[in-house]
Amino acid sequence: MSRAFARWWSSIAFRQALIFGALVVLTMTVLVVIFYVQTVGVWQRRIDGQIDTTTQRLVDYHETRGSAALANHINNLLGDGIDSDTEVYTLLGPDGHILAGNLAVADEITRPTPRISEQRVVRAGRVSRSRLRVTRLSDGSILIVGRDMQDQHELEHLIRGAILSGAMVTLLMAIFGAVLFRRQLERRIGAIRETATQIERGDLAQRVPISAQQDEFARLSRDINAMLDRIHALMEGVRHVSNTIAHNIRTPLSRVLARLYTAQSAADPAQSLPEAVGFAITEIQDVNVVFDKLLRIAEVEAGARRQTFTVVSLNAVAVNALELYDAVAEAKGLTLTHTLDAQPVVTGDGDLLANAVANLIDNAIKYTPSGGTIHVDTRCDGGRVTLTVRDNGRGIPAEERARVGARFYRLDRAVPGWGLGLASVLAIARLHGGSLQLADAEPGLIARLVLPAPGA
Amino acid sequence: MRRCLIIEDDTENAQYVATGLRELGWLVTVCRDGVHAVGRAADGAWDLIILDRMLPNDIDGLSILKTLRSLGRRTPVVILSALAATDERVRGLKAGCDDYLTKPFAFSELAARIEAVLRRLQPGDSVREMHVADMKVDLIARSVERAGRLIALQPREFRLLAYLLLNQGRVVTRTMLLEAVWDYRFDPQTNVIDVHISRLRSKIDKDASVALIHTVRGVGYTLSPAGPTRELAG
Repeated sequence: MSRAFARWWSSIAFRQALIFGALVVLTMTVLVVIFYVQTVGVWQRRIDGQIDTTTQRLVDYHETRGSAALANHINNLLGDGIDSDTEVYTLLGPDGHILAGNLAVADEITRPTPRISEQRVVRAGRVSRSRLRVTRLSDGSILIVGRDMQDQHELEHLIRGAILSGAMVTLLMAIFGAVLFRRQLERRIGAIRETATQIERGDLAQRVPISAQQDEFARLSRDINAMLDRIHALMEGVRHVSNTIAHNIRTPLSRVLARLYTAQSAADPAQSLPEAVGFAITEIQDVNVVFDKLLRIAEVEAGARRQTFTVVSLNAVAVNALELYDAVAEAKGLTLTHTLDAQPVVTGDGDLLANAVANLIDNAIKYTPSGGTIHVDTRCDGGRVTLTVRDNGRGIPAEERARVGARFYRLDRAVPGWGLGLASVLAIARLHGGSLQLADAEPGLIARLVLPAPGA
Repeated sequence: MRRCLIIEDDTENAQYVATGLRELGWLVTVCRDGVHAVGRAADGAWDLIILDRMLPNDIDGLSILKTLRSLGRRTPVVILSALAATDERVRGLKAGCDDYLTKPFAFSELAARIEAVLRRLQPGDSVREMHVADMKVDLIARSVERAGRLIALQPREFRLLAYLLLNQGRVVTRTMLLEAVWDYRFDPQTNVIDVHISRLRSKIDKDASVALIHTVRGVGYTLSPAGPTRELAG
């Protein structure tokens, strides 16, 4: 029993509904008690008032007309058919003899009392409870005025019964409601839990069914589904990247193996091996570079380097990169020029920004044919600091631009590279709260590294 | 004879480094156990310690390094580690290592860095003028003369030359040059350094009787009047 209850009690829906039901019952009880006390009390006071008034009137009557007239008057009152079921009048002579009235008089009720009291009496041959006022008149006779309360008590009893059964029904309704409420909640939450279980088992395509009602649960389910969609998309991304990584690492490894096996089984291994070893070293170094670049991007994306941000002059970064690449540009027959704004500073990681700028210039040099020009400029305006690398090379077709920045995406497989340069620029820009914008220089490419100015 | 302690649990790697160093004339001891490494490192009179980060029993090489430094041992330490993230490198340098090289690595790179580390520790470098063959370099006035003829160099070219000159007779790798002259701690992968060197060479060695800047194939460059020796080539 207690175990079953504990199980039910562990359901928040059941608990809430039950507590709510109990509150309703309590409120009702308080209300009914107030109502009962007020009505019954008022009723009794009114009766007492009537008894007092009547007693006073009859006393006055007795004072002016005497006992015989009062007895007559009482007989008239009893016989007038008004309130004859409930009115109580009795007049006793000084000797205790009944002069008029409808009470079978017992000793204990003929003692005069200063207040109205409730007594068990025999009236018209029937035992009942009555409220009585007993008054000793001036000539020693006793006047009893009262009212039979039997009906009243029966009514009170009836009301109490009705209230009690009403309370019972309310309590039952509350429990029933709690059970119903629990079942309803259980059903809605059950759907979410069911989905969670299936996803836990590995069925990532599962979604929470959304009911037609536009209630809180429908909204919650929608939010959960949106979250699951996002996770699913991210995992797809990870899967794509790991596939590409596998491809980019397996391919060179299999090339290396193939070359080494061939060299080993050649007629004259001594002659073919050195060349194969050289090939293997180059390929494995390449794999290492890819690994290194990927790890760097992952490190940037993790965002931990934000903690060591300092104030960095973008001009210093640009000049450093320009002085690194000027020789290569010159050797390739390219003109490398620059215009630098007064003092573009950003809050960031100097190493990473240098890496990003170097990557942009490196790309421009790779994709601009001999005789072309590359222009680097920095500027700060409106809370943003921008470094632009503009070339007049082949550019990137508009429809391809969105894909640039994805890992391993390469515009031209004939140009050496790994397809990780712009991906890392993009990651670095995002780490700094900035962006990488690509535009057409007609012909050529405009690559803008846009970063927020400090305090902007 | 110079003595080196290698703290490394991977036999293959330890063997690779030990063989290379022995060929360069070092006396090498390998310690594969992190627990005993602290004692070995602190007790011996080592000229160099090569330290791996991830050792058996979850010992981080950095703790060995920190203990060593707290004992007041200034022995040069080069860390070799697969932990390549920037903050790991920074942690290594903060713990007191003299250089941090990430795996995988070429032995020639390690050898070049070891020489640079040892050279940094030698006092008395504050010379003003240096002479190599018929080249005279004034490090303060930043002027270069070859056979009495003044050579105009751009500031960056001068820094490149100065670094080669300070490591005279030793091999410097491309990544060392990127770090020293451009302060780049990443490799742009393009042949940027090669092009700079060939431009510098065209200014320094053109029309000269003896070439001073030599390429060490697959490793880097060296500045020497005699050309790269067998030892330097690694």
